[in-house]
Amino acid sequence: MADPASTPLGKMLLEEITPVVMVLCTPYVEESCLKNGLSLIQLLSPFCDFTNIDVPVRTASDQPYRLRKFKLRLFYSSDIRQPNLEVAKERLKKVITHVGEKNFLESSDPSQVNNLLSRPESEMLPSWFQFFNKELVRTLSFSDHEAFDHPVACLLVVSSKDDEPVNRFVDLFNTNKLPSLLNDGAMDPKIMKHYLLLHDNQDGPFNKATKLLADMRNAFGQNDCQIICFNSSQDGKIHHQDNPWAPFKSDALPTENLGGFLNLDDLNEIKDFMQELSSKHIIPYMEQKIRVLNQQVSATRKGFRNQIKNLWWRKGKEDTIDTPNGPVYTFNSIESQIRILGDYAFMLGDYELALSNYRLISTDYKLDKAWKRYAGVQEMMGLTYFLLDQSRKDAEYCMENAFNTYLKLGSAGRRNTTRCGLWWAEMLKTRDQLKEAATVYFRICGEDTLHSAVMLEQASFCYLLSKPPMLHKYGFHLVLSGDHYKKCDQIKHAIRTYRSAIPVYKGTTWSLIKDHVHFHIGQWYALLGMYDVAVTHMLEVLASTHQSKTTQELFLRDFLQIVQKTGKTFEVLKLQLPVINISSLKVIFEDQRTNASAAAARVKESLWRSLEEDIIPSSTARSNWLELQSKIMPRKYKESNICVAGEALKVDIEFKNPLQIPISVSSVSLMCELCANPEEDANSSNNEVQNNEDRTSTSSGDINSCLILSEVDFSLEGGETTVVQLTVTPRIEGILKIVGVKWKLSSAVVGLCNFEFNPVNRVVRGRRKQHSPSSDLKFLVIKSLPRLQGFIHSLPEKTYAGDLRPLVLELSNQSKSPVKNLKMKISNPRFLYAGNQKELNADFPACLKKKMNVEKSGRHANVNKTLQNLYHFPEDISVQEETSLSWPLWFHAAVPGNIPLYITIYYEMEGVSSIMKYRTLRMHYNLQVLPSLDVSFQLSTRPSRSQEFLLRMDVVNKTSSECFQVHQLSSVGQQWEISLLQPVDSILPSQSLFAGQSLSCFFMLKDRRRSSTSEDSIPSLSHIQSDVRLGPQDNSEAFFDVSSSPLADFHDCERSSRGMSSQVGCEYKVDFVFITQLLKGNSDSSSNTPLVFSHHACDCSPSSMSPISWLVDGPRTIQHNFSAPPCEVNLKMTITNSSDAIASVHINTFDSPSSNNQLINDATTSQPPEHQSGWSEIPIVNDTKIITTEALTTRVPKSLSLESVPQFIWSGTSSTKLVLQPRSTAEIPLQICVFTPGIYDLSNYILNWNLTPVNDGENQGEANKSTGVCQGYPYYLSVLESNFKD
Amino acid sequence: MTSTACFIIVSRNDIPIYEAEVGSAAKREDAAQLHQFVLHAALDIVQDLAWTTSAMFLKAIDRFNDLVVSVYVTAGHTRFMLLHDSRNEDGIKSFFQEVHELYIKILLNPLYLPGSRITSSHFDTKVRALARKYL
Repeated sequence: MADPASTPLGKMLLEEITPVVMVLCTPYVEESCLKNGLSLIQLLSPFCDFTNIDVPVRTASDQPYRLRKFKLRLFYSSDIRQPNLEVAKERLKKVITHVGEKNFLESSDPSQVNNLLSRPESEMLPSWFQFFNKELVRTLSFSDHEAFDHPVACLLVVSSKDDEPVNRFVDLFNTNKLPSLLNDGAMDPKIMKHYLLLHDNQDGPFNKATKLLADMRNAFGQNDCQIICFNSSQDGKIHHQDNPWAPFKSDALPTENLGGFLNLDDLNEIKDFMQELSSKHIIPYMEQKIRVLNQQVSATRKGFRNQIKNLWWRKGKEDTIDTPNGPVYTFNSIESQIRILGDYAFMLGDYELALSNYRLISTDYKLDKAWKRYAGVQEMMGLTYFLLDQSRKDAEYCMENAFNTYLKLGSAGRRNTTRCGLWWAEMLKTRDQLKEAATVYFRICGEDTLHSAVMLEQASFCYLLSKPPMLHKYGFHLVLSGDHYKKCDQIKHAIRTYRSAIPVYKGTTWSLIKDHVHFHIGQWYALLGMYDVAVTHMLEVLASTHQSKTTQELFLRDFLQIVQKTGKTFEVLKLQLPVINISSLKVIFEDQRTNASAAAARVKESLWRSLEEDIIPSSTARSNWLELQSKIMPRKYKESNICVAGEALKVDIEFKNPLQIPISVSSVSLMCELCANPEEDANSSNNEVQNNEDRTSTSSGDINSCLILSEVDFSLEGGETTVVQLTVTPRIEGILKIVGVKWKLSSAVVGLCNFEFNPVNRVVRGRRKQHSPSSDLKFLVIKSLPRLQGFIHSLPEKTYAGDLRPLVLELSNQSKSPVKNLKMKISNPRFLYAGNQKELNADFPACLKKKMNVEKSGRHANVNKTLQNLYHFPEDISVQEETSLSWPLWFHAAVPGNIPLYITIYYEMEGVSSIMKYRTLRMHYNLQVLPSLDVSFQLSTRPSRSQEFLLRMDVVNKTSSECFQVHQLSSVGQQWEISLLQPVDSILPSQSLFAGQSLSCFFMLKDRRRSSTSEDSIPSLSHIQSDVRLGPQDNSEAFFDVSSSPLADFHDCERSSRGMSSQVGCEYKVDFVFITQLLKGNSDSSSNTPLVFSHHACDCSPSSMSPISWLVDGPRTIQHNFSAPPCEVNLKMTITNSSDAIASVHINTFDSPSSNNQLINDATTSQPPEHQSGWSEIPIVNDTKIITTEALTTRVPKSLSLESVPQFIWSGTSSTKLVLQPRSTAEIPLQICVFTPGIYDLSNYILNWNLTPVNDGENQGEANKSTGVCQGYPYYLSVLESNFKD
Repeated sequence: MTSTACFIIVSRNDIPIYEAEVGSAAKREDAAQLHQFVLHAALDIVQDLAWTTSAMFLKAIDRFNDLVVSVYVTAGHTRFMLLHDSRNEDGIKSFFQEVHELYIKILLNPLYLPGSRITSSHFDTKVRALARKYL
């Protein structure tokens, strides 16, 4: 370490612990001095500091040393007393307040911690700390337990103007006026005196003064008297280059004229006088005194004997004195003498001597329990150690000891503690023990909050300057300091400290800390009336989600109060309340694609696009359109989106309240810019670079007429999230840019949020995928265009499957020009289907009924259109301006489930805009279709008659409450004749199916074409029984016509949707339509018309349907005499090929019953269950006479196999093969040989058939059935033994 | 059980990932942020001390008035900081060790990203139970 004297602490000690000179003067002296604007002490002070003297000093030791630095402190006698505590405090407070004002204005906060550290140390540490510390130490001067503040000498000054100056000198040193220190015995009243005669040259000639001096010398001694002449300058205009008094003068007075009457000679005279005083009088006097005292001390205290004596003597005193301050020591007590000796030695720089004396006295004080004195001595010892630069440990130990001892004294030693702590901290700082210094500063903090605040701030700087910097501690202590400042109403200081702490806590995740700092800064700024700054800080804490509810309420309330006080509405760019989810931003705009409802807008674009693919103009047309566009628009806007004037742009934004308390948000609206198309108006391009203020002003002004912005108010509960739809409607052409959103929080603060720099998750509407986000929010507004609005009347949201009803689509055109070329595409033609215009006013359901007299020529006219889901409106249909068009639609709830319906309507405008030729209207509906009736059909052939089929229909009502009235069952196509096997009344007397009820019905189905093979001439329609009435038989109500428009069309849709060809090709496949009605009369009396339900079943076919059918014919009962040769039975098999292909049939017969049995078993097991679908599960119904043949084949052989032990054999060939032409019949003779009487089942044969198609083009359904194996069906033959004997 | 105790787990990036007031004293609004301040300031001391010893438990390293900060540093330099006003060093040590085990279990969770906030309610319950047991 460098010279301890050159350290800050060393300098401070050399300045503060110096001999004191008491000054006594007459009023005339002061008067003369004040001519220069200075008091006597101020006049002399600059010349009391000797930095380059060279005085030999000899103290206790014989070896003299040289003193190079010396300083005298001058005080008026009236000031030599302990300063008034209150006054001192007031002064300190003033100092702090002053500094606070000054620093507050010029403070510029570093925003980064790195910046904070990069500055030089001197800049970092505020300079006023040193000044404050000095002032603080000075409040403790002239305490009675320390000797270094006791005056060493007394300077008596009398002016030459005074009457009888000699007497004045005597009067001056009047004991009554002397400070209490001298009077109460704390110090020796016999003090060195020096007499000075001051002559003001303006008052008169010098002669008088010299005479007076002679008198003085006679009276007070030759050496102790001197004279100074000053104020030699007459005009008082002397200007001193570097004014020596400036640093000593308080700032309140002007400094220019200081010492105006003093010329250079005067200054030199004063300087010489002071130097002489110190070197010739004070220093020798002190040397003298040290030597004397030293001798005295040596005599009484040094040496072994004296020590023992002292110890014994003190022991004896122990019980008697027990005052808190210890015993009172007068100046002539040996303890005081030692202390004076030490202090004098210290002041003269003889630290060794000082230390030895301090050590000596400290044990005495300790034994005497004079704690204050003890602490004082310890303090001095510490400082002496420091200046000697010997033992650091000792120095620190002494300081700590002193500190703790002062602390023990309580409030009496409070200020001493502070001083001691300051010195200690300085000492530690000098030695780079900054962390320890900070701890000391922290310990200094006491009851005086203001001082504590300063100490804490100093501590914080220690942490900052320590290596490595302890930033966390720095921040914490700044905050603590700020809190203390606040308690003393030093708000500016408080703000300053908190703001210094911000860089430390910037970006911290210690949320409570951050909130605390910002909230308090905000509050304090508000107290100062600087609301703008306050608001910015309060904003930081607004969205503090982690805080408790009460705290959040407090934050919000304070924030709003502050905002209110500002008296204006704030626009805050990053208001955190409520939180805007930018990624949720959705822009819905309509160019050529328009939406009928919000639901349609939410549907994926790709879905619409696939739907619209074939109705909008093809890609070549599109490129033409683009070319056209590029001619009209500048290149940079080619990429931008298009919207139409007068049509609203919708923006969906999600707002979230992060707090637990409800907040109210009002006037939420978009911020938009609308500027003219730069192509048209080049001058307006500067509109784009408008700043925020301009924009708001324009939007409030002329933009108002061009843009219509929607405003939304809502309130959010704690934690609630809401999606808000905002709209903007441009009224004129130009370029519209959505800039952001603004809202009002609690109708006080306006929050702004710009979209520009955020990635926007836009609903992709354009064909161009690579958008920059900003261009996503930029729209080219074009001239207003016709826009159709579409609505389907009374489309049910919830219905039952099978529901069939007419609907009306209404298209209205609000604009001034007509649209034409309408096309419509429906995503799901099974459900919705466009009708004919003439059906619009038709009576439902009567229009569905069969009309006998109507020509059926128009049937299936629009089948092809239906298949493409596309409906062209007739050419002549157009929607004129300001009219609406109604168009019938047929609705059929085909399948249960949640069904989305997408309808897109294409239309063209004429001559309105060159950019946009056509538009599409998109409609979207969601249907909920509930299951109603479950209808299933089973068809089986009658083995005996190949043209007749048995039809079983099972219906289950699956609804929970509805009651369906069965109406009819129809077969589609004309070649089937259907009839009931038994009257419905016997099965279903009520003709209605209640909830949960099931119904089984049997029908006879006849292939009419087959039955009338001979002639295929068109039968009269009335003759065909393709419908069967299931309702009341006596009802004369007509059948529903399944072959006319809606029902037939929906049936075709059903077929195509099930992947079947629309042609009813195969004659063994039959489609059914089952129609029921639902009477709504109970609930809804107004519409008494029943709802019609139709259920469609397609391609029902017998489970074992094969194109080959055969019939075995022959005798059933034979009597035979078995004694004769075996009985031969002739049978005939008639084989029919009903297909259109050539069939080759192979008949195999088996003889052995085991193999027969085996085969049957095989056949039963190998038969996949679906071949007999449903039939095997049916419970045998006793009252029905129909027994299924299939069931018999499986059941019978088991029982019969045992009985048919007697064998028979097939005679003739075991295998017959023949070829059958299409639609032909052949007969084959068969023969069996029977050996014993019995009943035989002649089913042990199989038919293998193979079809060779004649024409490949058709009958694909049969192609995969080109081969097959048929098991023979039972034919029972009873062979009886003939009774006659031979 | 101590009247005041605040337990915080600080990630290696000085981000608090778990906070719990585990004292028995009635909660005060301003106390919570004072605790954060004291613990935050103690990070400096931890930084100094952590590298001077191989022990994980650093004992009481800092104090503010009558509040003492005890710290336990894991191998990954995650710091468990406990602010308390009692002098039960053994209990605190056991507390830290058991919390360390819990913390390791959290780390073993493949869905937990080291350094992110610990939101497991199970962890919270366990820590509070440990605090009742040891502090």
